[in-house]
Amino acid sequence: MSEEQQNITLVEIYRFLAQSMRYPEADWLDDTYWSVLTTLLTELEWHEELNELTTPRNNIADQLEDLQVEHTRLFINAVPHVLAPPYASVYAHVDGSLYGPIAEKTKKFYGEKGYSLSQNDIPDHIVYELEFLAILADQDPEACEEFLKILFLPWFPLFQERVLAAAKLPFYPVMVKLIDFFTRQESL
Amino acid sequence: MAYNLTRRKFLQTASLAAATVPLAKVVTADTGFVRKPFTPPGSFADTKTATGGICEMCFWRCQIVGKVREGRLVKLEGNPKSIDNGEAICARGNAGVKLLYDPDRLKYPMKNVGERGNPKWKRISWQEAMDECGSKLKAVQDTYGAHGISVFPHGASAKYPMHYFERIVGTHNVSEASFFQCRGIRDTAYVATIGTPPGENVDMPSAKAMLFLGTHLGENVHVSHLKRYLKGLENGAKLIVVDPRYSASAAKSDIWVKIKPGTDTAFLLSVMNYLVANKKYDVEFVEEYGSGFDEFKKGISHATLDWGSKICDVPAAQIKEVAEMLAANAPHVSIHPGRHVSWYGNDFQRQRGLACLTGLLGAVGVKGGFVKPKGPKVKGISWAKGDHGGEHNLREMADKHHYSPPGTPTDLIREACVTGKPYPIKGCVIWGQNPIQTIPNQEMTIKALKQMDFVVCVDVMPTDITMYADILLPECSYLERYDYIKKGTQWNFADTHQQYISARTPLVEPLFERKDSVWITNEIAKRMGYGDKIPVASQEEKVDKELASAGLSIAQLQKEDGIHIQPGKDPYGVPEDFEVLFYNEDIEDNGYPGVPTYIPVEEVPKGYARLLYGRSPVHTFNRSQNNVWLFNAMPENPVWINDESAQKLGLKDGDRVTMVNSEGVKSITSTSVKVTPGIRKDSVYIVHGYGSMNPAMTVGVGAGIDDQRLITKLAVDPETGAHGMRNNFVKLVKDGKVLEIPA
Repeated sequence: MSEEQQNITLVEIYRFLAQSMRYPEADWLDDTYWSVLTTLLTELEWHEELNELTTPRNNIADQLEDLQVEHTRLFINAVPHVLAPPYASVYAHVDGSLYGPIAEKTKKFYGEKGYSLSQNDIPDHIVYELEFLAILADQDPEACEEFLKILFLPWFPLFQERVLAAAKLPFYPVMVKLIDFFTRQESL
Repeated sequence: MAYNLTRRKFLQTASLAAATVPLAKVVTADTGFVRKPFTPPGSFADTKTATGGICEMCFWRCQIVGKVREGRLVKLEGNPKSIDNGEAICARGNAGVKLLYDPDRLKYPMKNVGERGNPKWKRISWQEAMDECGSKLKAVQDTYGAHGISVFPHGASAKYPMHYFERIVGTHNVSEASFFQCRGIRDTAYVATIGTPPGENVDMPSAKAMLFLGTHLGENVHVSHLKRYLKGLENGAKLIVVDPRYSASAAKSDIWVKIKPGTDTAFLLSVMNYLVANKKYDVEFVEEYGSGFDEFKKGISHATLDWGSKICDVPAAQIKEVAEMLAANAPHVSIHPGRHVSWYGNDFQRQRGLACLTGLLGAVGVKGGFVKPKGPKVKGISWAKGDHGGEHNLREMADKHHYSPPGTPTDLIREACVTGKPYPIKGCVIWGQNPIQTIPNQEMTIKALKQMDFVVCVDVMPTDITMYADILLPECSYLERYDYIKKGTQWNFADTHQQYISARTPLVEPLFERKDSVWITNEIAKRMGYGDKIPVASQEEKVDKELASAGLSIAQLQKEDGIHIQPGKDPYGVPEDFEVLFYNEDIEDNGYPGVPTYIPVEEVPKGYARLLYGRSPVHTFNRSQNNVWLFNAMPENPVWINDESAQKLGLKDGDRVTMVNSEGVKSITSTSVKVTPGIRKDSVYIVHGYGSMNPAMTVGVGAGIDDQRLITKLAVDPETGAHGMRNNFVKLVKDGKVLEIPA
């Protein structure tokens, strides 16, 4: 595959991963989505993950609600507690607050590259960061590496650890492993 | 996972692009980004000051400004234009930033698809949440009547929904913790004595003496309140503190009366009888404004110094010393009315006593006395009042608690929930209150909640009670909404008289899908068939309309840096129709003592100590438990124990203990021991609001001991129906061993 094509694939993968971390809704978490995810895992030869994911997929309606409960519990509010808030700030600062200085730094990075969020929201959410990686992978691969190094990788492994420890369903562990795979720095 | 495959290798070989379903097909068309030309550094907007903030970390509501950078609130400060708190705010006020950005804050409407108490939350749309609330509450109303709905509101934003359910839906079953578990008794007792609720309106800066009965300013921090107190001390006022514990105020006192808990009314009667018997009261004032003085004089004549001394366990000479100090400085004395006064179930009589003492000393409308500020008038806008009759009013049906604060005593509501008598209560709206911690006897509260057909909670944070909701709604915090009109005068009456008006305006935009109470209430009202009765379409409109009554608007206030200041009025002087009902015939007709009377409370059983609780200067009870900054300032609530008792028990500072009460209820969590001579042997003390059992409070959970769990014996104040919460007895438990507290 040409380098250009490789880049296109990476852009699409980042967009796909960003989508996957959004709140599960029937309008995107459908058969088409699952078949794409299946293809991706097959291509990666992640057979174990594929098995885990496909087994409970028999009843899609139930699974959607289960995933919604799981997403809420892990990323929004939950008992025993918000297990893995998907924001850089929570991991970057000792007080574990949302919208800390790192969020401001992230916003500034977006601004310097000519982008801002389309609505008033906290800029260091994982969905935004993955979407931004897609934009950069497309337009400025060097900046993409820089963003990963300075802003994404310092917190993502800590987040991933929490998701892996706290998840009850296989979906999000597979997702964070995928994100890890496509963002991890590799030696040349 | 096939770790042998690297990303690079994968991308080189993958046939994804050629797959039947390309990745791009399953992602939404738009990202969360828009293109925006980069503004180079140097021309970046600096930190801006957003004015018009009103703090809500406690009810005092200081005026604040926010330092905002790129839409992010970075710091809170007092509004320099304020003539109340000025530039100062307290630790809690500062920590509002942490509340705003707490990762545990409620963010989206959620539905419980698990069970009450053991919830499984799922994020839902506002549409679904409102449909559910509207239809379920309507169903309760249709099946059981409006009185089948109970409401537990707290805070400024809960007024609008509270009025909706009371005035439009027509339920009497509304219970505010701030009344029934806090200040309601004070207000109704003062109304029954001097015709007005007192607030904390004593002119401390100009006082020559101040009397605090349990009031522990310094541990209880409200900025302008403290400024008044400290100015009084600075100006040389004598301070008398009556408290079983050497509180922060006691530490600054001239006389510390180490009183036996529960006997305060006896102490007041003794002081008053001494003043009357020795003609050391303000005869002229009493003749002019007093009513029923002869009955009063006769009614308290038994309360000699020796009688008081014996009951209160303080020297007769000290009671005399207090009386003499008050008489010598009268009428310029501040008899502080207190704030949280629901202590022993004999509290209405004590509060009547404080009001009578104020009158006896002529300390009304004079420098240093009880003086109400003359603030500006601003008309409130809310749901139109409707008459729904008293037919289903639980208090009237029970024919008791005739001096109940507005609303229905919590106890009567809960009783009806659990027994279904006199009628079932099956709907529950909880707005900013945490009845698991505000109301004693948690088991019964949980029982009441579990039998409901529908429970909705609205809050900014998850609290214990939110675990029992079917629908949980995220409200804008006080930093993100319009609502409260704060008005008043300059803090020190000795300064030029001025009035101020300010309105809470958002310092930053709300994040996630948080909504304000006007929006939420209106949406519910529409779905319950009351859309035509909605008084205002939005919170901005409400505030603007209210300000218009004072010739102001939100825009005008913003031009004036958030606070409008105008010339004020001299607050001194006694109002023309002022009267002190030393003896109140109506009270007697309703079956209670018409002259302030001491009613003994249960004695401490052998081996136990009375559990006392109070405030921390850095916390607002459980509301701030999860705030990291405040948590770090005071992570737990050490239990105070008398040093001699501790020595006998082999306890030392820092030992870990749990508690068990006289009914066998154990604390779930533990705390440390604070050994001190500053507490009586018959009592132990902890700060209230710790030991949350809600694991969603990631910071506060399990830290310190929750006193509320140990308050299982309910004392109900007969006149008001409010709860007395200091009649529970505990033993300490160390390393599994239950320790008998020595007498």
